[in-house]
Amino acid sequence: MNNIVVQIILIALAPFIGGLIYGIERKVKARMQRRIGPPILQPFYDFLKLMDKRKMIVHSTHAFLGIIHFISLWFALAILITGGDFILVIFLHLLSTAIIILAGFSTRSIFSHLGANRTAISILAYEPVLVIIAISAFMLTGSFDISALYAGEVPPLFKMPLAFVALLLILPVKLKKSPFDVGEAHQEVVGGVELEYSGIFYEAIYTAKWLDYVFCYLLVFLFGGSNIWLGLTLVVLTFIYINALDNSTARVSYKQMLRFCLWVALPLAFANLLLTMFNIL
Amino acid sequence: MKLNKYRKKSPWILHYNAGGCNGCDIEILACLGPKYDIERFGMINSGNPKQADIMLVTGPVTKRSRERLVDIYSQMPEPKVVVACGSCTCSGGVFRGMYNCEGGVDQYIPVDVYVPGCGCRPEQIIAGVVEALAKLEQKTKDIEKSIRLDRSPQINNGQVDRREIAVGIAPGKVFG
Repeated sequence: MNNIVVQIILIALAPFIGGLIYGIERKVKARMQRRIGPPILQPFYDFLKLMDKRKMIVHSTHAFLGIIHFISLWFALAILITGGDFILVIFLHLLSTAIIILAGFSTRSIFSHLGANRTAISILAYEPVLVIIAISAFMLTGSFDISALYAGEVPPLFKMPLAFVALLLILPVKLKKSPFDVGEAHQEVVGGVELEYSGIFYEAIYTAKWLDYVFCYLLVFLFGGSNIWLGLTLVVLTFIYINALDNSTARVSYKQMLRFCLWVALPLAFANLLLTMFNIL
Repeated sequence: MKLNKYRKKSPWILHYNAGGCNGCDIEILACLGPKYDIERFGMINSGNPKQADIMLVTGPVTKRSRERLVDIYSQMPEPKVVVACGSCTCSGGVFRGMYNCEGGVDQYIPVDVYVPGCGCRPEQIIAGVVEALAKLEQKTKDIEKSIRLDRSPQINNGQVDRREIAVGIAPGKVFG
C-alpha cells in the first residue's frame, strides 16, 4: 500500500473491485441457499442495463445528492487507500451517509422518509464504535494516520483484538446486511432511501454500495498491518462471516439493533481502548 | 454503444397482485426459490416500480386495484414489458362478468405476453418471461401509456369490454 502507483490504480479501480465483490457475494449467497446463482459479472450487467433506462427524477436536487453521495464516498475511500487521517475518513464516510439521508428526506415518499430515518439510526449505532477504534489506533501508534498502522511490526490485530471483534459486530450495520438491515429492508420499506432513484441516478447509489464493500473490507484489511497475507486472510474470513450471518439470521428491529451496538459493540471497543491505552497487550 | 443486449441479462421484476386469489403469486414466488432459481438469469424481485423492467401482474383487475395498477405501470421507466400471469389476468377467468371485476389486465394497460393457467406453472411463467425478454430487447425508450379509449365501452353479456375499442395496442403473444 506504500507504492503511489498501486494506490492510484486501487482508487481508480475501486468501483470495479467492489462490483466483483458484490458479484461473488451474490454467488456465495446463492450457493449457501442451494441455488446456482447469477454470474459473477451480474452487477456489471445491471449497471449497463440501468444506463439504458429512460431518465426519471423526482426533482433535480434529489438526483444531484445521489451523485454527491457516490463522489464523497469515493473520496473517503481514496483517503483510506492513501493512508490519510483516520478521523477524516470516518468524517467523509459520515458525510456521504448524511447526504443520502438528506436525499431521502427531500422527497415526499413515506418509505423514503422511513429509510432515511432508519439510516440515521444506524449511524448512531456504528459511528461511536468506529471513532473509538480510531482512537485506539491513535493510542497504539501515536498518530491518526492510517499509514502508521501499516508501518508497525506487530499487526494491529494482536494489539487490539477487541476492536476487531467490535468492528465485526458493526460491519453488518454498515453493509446493511441481515440482521441489521433495517435501513434497506426490502420487505418493509422497499430499499429505503434508494427507493425514489431510477435509471442512471439509481446507478450512483448502486455503485456507491459497491464502494461501501471496498471501504468495509479495507477497514478489515487494516488489522493485518504490514503483513499483507494476514490482512487478506482476515478479509476472506470476514466475507464468509458476513454472508453466513446474512443468510442465517432474520431482521431485528431498529431498537434491538441500537441496543446491541451500544451495549455490546461499544463497550468492547471501549475495553480495547483501555487495553491499548495502558499497553496491556 | 448499443446496450440493448444487456436488458435481457438483468431483468428486474415488479410483481403486482390486481386482486387475484394468491395462487399465481405463490407460483411466481416459487420461481425465485431454489428449485427454479430465476436469479441465475439475473432476475431480482425488486418490488420497486422505478427500478423494474418487467411487470408480472396477477389477478382480474378489481375496481379497487385498477387505479393502483395504472399508477404503478406509469411509474415504471421505459423500456418495460408487462406479463399477465394466470387466466384471470388474461381474460377475467372465472371472475369474468362479475360486478366487481374488470375482466383482464389488458383492459387498462398494454400486455406483451399472456401466460394462461389457473394457476400458471412456474415453467410457464419462466417461458413467458423469456418471451417478454425478447420483446424487451426490441423496445425503444418512447413513453408508453396505459390504454385510452376513443368511445365509451359497451357491455356485452354482463362484461364491459374495453379491449376491442382500445387505441393503438399491438396484440400480445399467447404462450403456454
